[in-house]
Amino acid sequence: MLRTLFTSLLLLSLLQAGHELQAQGPPPYTRSLESYTVPDVVLVNQEGAKVRLKTMIESGQPIVLDFIFGTCTTICPVLSAGFANLQAKLPPDARIHLVSISIDPENDTPKVMREYLKRYRAKAGWDFFTGKREDIDKVMYAFNAYIPNKMSHYPLTLIRDPKTGKWIRLFGLMSSSEFLAECKRAGIL
Amino acid sequence: MKARHLAVALLGLGFLLSAATPKEVKTVAGMPAQQALALGERMYRQGLLPSGEPMASVVSGDIPVPGTSFSCGSCHLRAGLGSWEGGVVTLATNGARLAQPRYWKFPNLTPAEREELKLQNPPARPAYTDEALAHVLRTGMDPAGRTLHPIMPCYDLNDRDMAILIHYLRNLSARLSPGVDGETLRFATVITEGVSRQDQEAMLVPLNNYVARHNQFSKGFGNRMYLAVGGNEMTGSYRKLALSVWRLSGAPETWERQLEAHLKKEPVFALLGGLSNGAWAPIHRFCEKEKLPCLFPITDLPVVSDTDWYTLYFSKGYYQEGQAAARFVNGMEDLPSTPQVLQILQEGPEARELAAGFRETWQELGRPAAALQERVLTSAELADAEGLRRRLAQEKVGIVLLWVDARSFPALASFGEDRRMFLSSRLLGPQTTAVPEAVRAFTWITYPYRDPLEEPAYSKYADTLLAGMKERYPERRISTRVYSLIQVLRQGLMDMDRHFYRDNLLDRIGMQRDQALPDYLRLSFGPGQRYASKGCFIMQLSPGANPRLLRRSEWVIH
Ligand code: HEC
Repeated sequence: MLRTLFTSLLLLSLLQAGHELQAQGPPPYTRSLESYTVPDVVLVNQEGAKVRLKTMIESGQPIVLDFIFGTCTTICPVLSAGFANLQAKLPPDARIHLVSISIDPENDTPKVMREYLKRYRAKAGWDFFTGKREDIDKVMYAFNAYIPNKMSHYPLTLIRDPKTGKWIRLFGLMSSSEFLAECKRAGIL
Repeated sequence: MKARHLAVALLGLGFLLSAATPKEVKTVAGMPAQQALALGERMYRQGLLPSGEPMASVVSGDIPVPGTSFSCGSCHLRAGLGSWEGGVVTLATNGARLAQPRYWKFPNLTPAEREELKLQNPPARPAYTDEALAHVLRTGMDPAGRTLHPIMPCYDLNDRDMAILIHYLRNLSARLSPGVDGETLRFATVITEGVSRQDQEAMLVPLNNYVARHNQFSKGFGNRMYLAVGGNEMTGSYRKLALSVWRLSGAPETWERQLEAHLKKEPVFALLGGLSNGAWAPIHRFCEKEKLPCLFPITDLPVVSDTDWYTLYFSKGYYQEGQAAARFVNGMEDLPSTPQVLQILQEGPEARELAAGFRETWQELGRPAAALQERVLTSAELADAEGLRRRLAQEKVGIVLLWVDARSFPALASFGEDRRMFLSSRLLGPQTTAVPEAVRAFTWITYPYRDPLEEPAYSKYADTLLAGMKERYPERRISTRVYSLIQVLRQGLMDMDRHFYRDNLLDRIGMQRDQALPDYLRLSFGPGQRYASKGCFIMQLSPGANPRLLRRSEWVIH
């Protein structure tokens, strides 16, 4: 009896502590299920190769996609650290394709993108794309991620399960364990 | 005793005293302070420990990150004043701010209001002691007991490395930069010998008009540099502006010494604009050495560098046109698998930069160096139309980049339609539209500005700064570039607030949004980006007696 009381008191205080942390900390990320129509545009990857975005995304490989740029402060470093860490944790047979799309196509040339990926120790399976500004705008619009000013962009991660073709939209920054859990929940791990 | 003897005696006494108590050499973590500063800077900017290993950190709670991926400077920026991006406020971490307590600006807000006003109302905390700094960097808990946003990484640092980093932070933007006092913010502009009177006037009239207007009208804004916008109150940021003209003469090798003398006599916060008929490199190098910002010198011969910091250019100039040509050729359909390319250049730095831009980009695109040839023409060879025609007729290469001026036109007839030819509009100047009609169908022209049809709508604004100018020389694009410089500077000063550190001005400009201003289709910025216009059109000329330029490419060519 005493023990149960003690445990429930402990639980209660833990819950409260958790609640306080929540109130103090950043707002947690949000999650929604979406359908998007991928525009038929040709982008350029870090090797300078032209890639048809629609074909690539609908190739049957699970996709995790974000929007970043080479000289971005604060948000992109953390998103990219998340990608690098996810790659490191993936089982060897996972076929997940990580796709980063530049929102600063002016500055992000293949060379800039190659150096960026190298900084994050990216392995094969993580590609960075640039392109014509109109095409990049089309991609941002298609994913409901359009921002007119690259400095006011926000953290967004999109996961596509090839079996359903639906996208999980994750708005906000995730920890490594949250990111992995979301990939599992989306059915791609 | 004569005054002189007294002075000598006092000097001797001073010497004795200092010998008795040897001048204390400050040490940090067992090394001279200066060395610790350099090591701390490397930690802050490059994320490398004094040992040379990457710093280890954890971000977002459980994501390990090596310092080589990103460093303190990636988020807090070079001067340490922080940034604001994507709803996340990166607080300042410079010496002056860390040493000050921070109070709530609006103390009685609900948590929801606090979240909404987080930029204007950063959380209160006491001044940082060294212990509190070490604690926040290791654990993410500030001296008020607040747990920081998990985007601020937690760093695993031993005591010695921590002491070195803290020493650096204490000295980072701790005192205002030279060139500013309580009343005046001082700038200078450099003009080298040989620049025409018209060019000088085209730059100095709008610059001086801007300074005069600022000093006349902005007094009404109280103690603020500009009328407050958004949440930025800028209290205490008001300064008058002053502009000096630094004239350099003689050989470029002597400019460094002349610049040193100017700077010593008149310490300025930054250089604005500037004119020279030759390469900008000597002034660029001086600014790197003195850590002196130079905003938008009016030059098409900049230093092209990925890492230099202090000079912000409009573009890479001639080099960028060469780059655009290489990317355009690379993307042309129906090229043979190994296209043969020939660059023919006249003497002088302009053609040299065009050729270098093409060559380096061509190689970066994976094209073999062996298939690229280059020939330099002397002035005499260029002037000899018949000789040049014969020479060109002998060249059997499919793609020819002719980095020469209009003197080459009479010889161009030797080219047939089996060629593709490239010319630079900047090198041809007003002669661009005089390219012989017979070759226009297979001649492409690099054009680093906005489409001329669309330009007037943008350039007309620049006239607002030209009061008092009798003649105007729009084709030189000097006054219009000064106008753009002033737009970027105004915003930069506004964002710099009262934190007058030279690096901070560059940091703030790096956070500006894209701008559509005269001349260039778009100017864009980013931390460390130093060439604001990244584009260049490839044009062709329409047939007929009054040809128009027809756009044949995107602005930025990948
Ligand atoms: C990925 C971005 C990022 C990196 C890298 C980063 N910081 Fe921060 N830092 C932040 C953010 C965001 C905050 C504000 C967090 C908050 O207010 O909750 C912050 C807060 C701080 C603070 C607290 C300031 C105050 O007024 O309480 C200090 C000190 C600090 N950082 C120093 C550093 C140092 C030193 C480094 C490198 C060793 C570093 N930071 C690396 C993003 C970053």
